[in-house]
Amino acid sequence: MSNALLVMVHGSPTPVANEDMFRVVEDLRARSDAAEAFPVVEVGFMECNEPTIPEAIERCIAAGATRVVAVPYFLHTGTHVCGDLPTLLEEAQARYPAVEFLMGDYIGLSPRVTEILAARAEAATASA
Amino acid sequence: MDALVLFSHGSLLCGAGEALDAHAERLRARGDFDRVEVGYLNYSEPPFLDTVARIVEAGAKRIVVVPYFLVAGYFVTSSLPKILNEARAIYPEVEFIVADALRHDAGLADALLDAAHSARPAAQWREPLARAAAACRPSPQCPLYGTSACPKVPSPEAPT
Repeated sequence: MSNALLVMVHGSPTPVANEDMFRVVEDLRARSDAAEAFPVVEVGFMECNEPTIPEAIERCIAAGATRVVAVPYFLHTGTHVCGDLPTLLEEAQARYPAVEFLMGDYIGLSPRVTEILAARAEAATASA
Repeated sequence: MDALVLFSHGSLLCGAGEALDAHAERLRARGDFDRVEVGYLNYSEPPFLDTVARIVEAGAKRIVVVPYFLVAGYFVTSSLPKILNEARAIYPEVEFIVADALRHDAGLADALLDAAHSARPAAQWREPLARAAAACRPSPQCPLYGTSACPKVPSPEAPT
């Protein structure tokens, strides 16, 4: 069983908007605990940018993944998280019946994000 | 009194505030600020300026605004300064401080990895939608309104 992590991102007409996300993904790839759990990490975009989510899934499978774990890089329960992304994964599951597809929480649900918000507030008051 | 306001875009979907409300609740529990509230630019309640009005009335002298955005794009660099100018004009005695958006942080890789370890099979992929429906307002603008997923007005022909 070889796991791939698929980071599902909204995408932006301004590609520079993705730079911070790519840095986060690079951080993840550099971590040994992540590399052990997910030898393959791919980013797929819903709109505007490439690779698209189906293309990123193809890359995961071409790299030997038998299980694709998809995580929405989103902050809210919205129509993308609730509907569009599950639909894309269901389509992928139908196309690749031998591959197991799983979907995780969107990152906005994480208490880690609360800690970052607290740090942002603290940094702003310290420099004010 | 110091207050923290989480500034967010807002959504037409009922229940879209689930994650932000949870962050606000955890930040209240941390106790770094006397008040922690959310304020939205569009669609969702409460609007940012209503939140500011409420906490100024409660005695806030300093308000730290943290943008709940992954990217410092148009809403952070253009919409937020505009609405802050309005707030400053209404409350010149209040100090407003703007924090950075989430952007890049070592903690986001942790969040991604935690989320990956939470992954579930297809039968559970639409659970966020079920939870969103549980927060039904019900608003005719919600994408669920008049659909079978809307718990209050499942059919536009038969509003209750």
